[in-house]
Amino acid sequence: MSASVASQPVVFQERARKALDDISLQRALTKARGGFVDHRRDAVDALPEFDAIRDAARDIKDHVLANLDGYLELYEQKVIERGGQVHWARDADEACRIVARICTDAGARTVTKGKSMVSEEMNLNPALEAAGMTVVETDLGEYIVQLAGEAPSHIIAPAVHKTREQITDLFHKHHSPLGYTDRVTQREALVNEARSVLRERFVTADVGITGANFLVAETGANVIVTNEGNGDLTSCLPRVHIVTAGIERVIPSLDDLSVLLRVLGRSATGQEFSAYTSLYSGPRRHDDTEGPEAYHVVLLDNGRSRLLGGQYQPMLRCIRCGACLNHCPVYGVIGGHAYGWVYSGPMGAVLTPLLNGFDQSLDLPNACTLNGRCKEVCPVRIPLSDLLLKHRLEQHDRRLTSVSGRFLLSAWAWLARRPRLYQGIMALPLWLLHRFGKRRGVLSRLPGVGGWTDSRDLPVPARRSFLRQWHARKARP
Amino acid sequence: MTQAREEILGTIRKSLAAGDPRTPRRLEELKSRIQDSAPQVQPYFDDDLLTRFCQKHVAVHGTYERIRKDGIEAAVVRHLTGLGLDTQWHTGVGPLLDATRWSDQVFVYRKCADKDTKVALTEAFAAVAETGTLVMCSGPAAPTSQNYLPDNHVIIVDSRRIVRHMEDLWAMLRTTGTAAARAVNLITGPSKTGDIEQTIQYGAHGPRRLHVLIVEEA
Repeated sequence: MSASVASQPVVFQERARKALDDISLQRALTKARGGFVDHRRDAVDALPEFDAIRDAARDIKDHVLANLDGYLELYEQKVIERGGQVHWARDADEACRIVARICTDAGARTVTKGKSMVSEEMNLNPALEAAGMTVVETDLGEYIVQLAGEAPSHIIAPAVHKTREQITDLFHKHHSPLGYTDRVTQREALVNEARSVLRERFVTADVGITGANFLVAETGANVIVTNEGNGDLTSCLPRVHIVTAGIERVIPSLDDLSVLLRVLGRSATGQEFSAYTSLYSGPRRHDDTEGPEAYHVVLLDNGRSRLLGGQYQPMLRCIRCGACLNHCPVYGVIGGHAYGWVYSGPMGAVLTPLLNGFDQSLDLPNACTLNGRCKEVCPVRIPLSDLLLKHRLEQHDRRLTSVSGRFLLSAWAWLARRPRLYQGIMALPLWLLHRFGKRRGVLSRLPGVGGWTDSRDLPVPARRSFLRQWHARKARP
Repeated sequence: MTQAREEILGTIRKSLAAGDPRTPRRLEELKSRIQDSAPQVQPYFDDDLLTRFCQKHVAVHGTYERIRKDGIEAAVVRHLTGLGLDTQWHTGVGPLLDATRWSDQVFVYRKCADKDTKVALTEAFAAVAETGTLVMCSGPAAPTSQNYLPDNHVIIVDSRRIVRHMEDLWAMLRTTGTAAARAVNLITGPSKTGDIEQTIQYGAHGPRRLHVLIVEEA
């Protein structure tokens, strides 16, 4: 994150190039690509009301964002009423300090975590480890990337970039010291081994940390949507339960929750409903035999409040389903790590510059073909590709783009507004291109634009421009 | 702490609309939107609730048996024997479970599950036909861990407690005061993961198998 303005774009391009050359990654991405897309389409086709529900989901989110301060206050009141505590964090560091203090005060040694993208955004694990705690990710995908010392590469499928062979190697290396000396290679055996290793962790953890898909103001509950059950074991077994969530997760009522749940699972994995959808509020009730003694919610702002009321506000509707990643041709070939931060794909390309600073991620809004599939599949109708264009425009206006690029654009704009001159000047290069390429029909190399022709062929243009031909034909009787 | 809170709320208000004061009346309006909350767009279906529930439950890899109230123990034993398991289990509470007198052929533990628990038998607060979902509420003798730690989960549900849509469940939770439970767990099929090569494997961290006993004419 400390990358300088000048070096950052290079970093993205290097990462993307490395990703394209990574055979394992390409194999994993190819395997994943079709599945998510097909499953989502089947689920959407089976629900005639899907588009109407998407509209309702968008309206709920817009209503909340327009009244975010009020709903946060109502939610906070309810959490306190249920015996929980709410903490507010302006930025990632403050949130890490709050969580670390709660853990230290509880005398925690082991912390289990359910999947939480906000905790990734906070970079929470190193902060807790610095405070002397052992942190264990329990979502299978998150656990795999934790063993690999990596970050998640997809917001709902963290280990989508790992092949089975790589997972076999990781488990063998890390589980052998625990007594699992057999090298297991089958999917079922791998899942069973992780189940058995993590079970020990669940029952001995002092603190459990989960995220929240939604925070319900009506009941003060945090809602988690999972398939494995790890989030629930993390919520109900340790002495202390901490929820980390962005301030925009709050929604008004349980009825609003139904609307959002109906689009979430279908958009994410093509499931009508995930295996486990759970609502947790407050600590254990006084006569409960189980459950945490303390319940904390850490609400993270980290730049979100500044986005309200502006042109990027629709981005705060995002429910983190991952559909835009699954449908993005760029994500599909470079994977999530190339984006350089926790959020990747179209939603990451919009959000990262907004939260981390425009000058920190100049290439992200440009790594897009503007095909618009992300916008088409978004369950809360975020105009993602339009927002990426706004980013590009803002980069240009803030003079964050290259001098030569800006010069060329201005020159072209100047020329394009003078049609006769434009026609006249373009005639020569057209004629030249036609002349040199007419035999093969394509041009595979052109001086000065190697970056473009290295990976593409330019179809040879007609000898004369469309307009010229048009006028010529009209002149003919 | 309070400073962070004021600062965040302050920025939100400033960003949203400088000229629009956030009065207590505004907060009351939001409160009544919550209180008067009503179902919005819902998926339409006209199958009868029991049929729809069973169909959706099977679609997510669950199994079920329709039984009578006096057949609970026999059905559980039948299920466990079929799996080659001992006839002992952890159990929760509920109107149907509480009314059952267990024979001395079975061992029933009334306590939280642990990491080696093989079987739990719990009673659902309700079920949702729309999605084939079972609804578990935590309580003094209904610990959440029983729903997640065992390898095999058997859930009993009164067929009259199957509701049509999710919103009908919320209404039921509100009127019975159950919305105040620490945990409301909506369970749709056994535990699963797609994290290894995007291929579904059952029994990730929670139960490998989910069997439902639907009690009719309870």
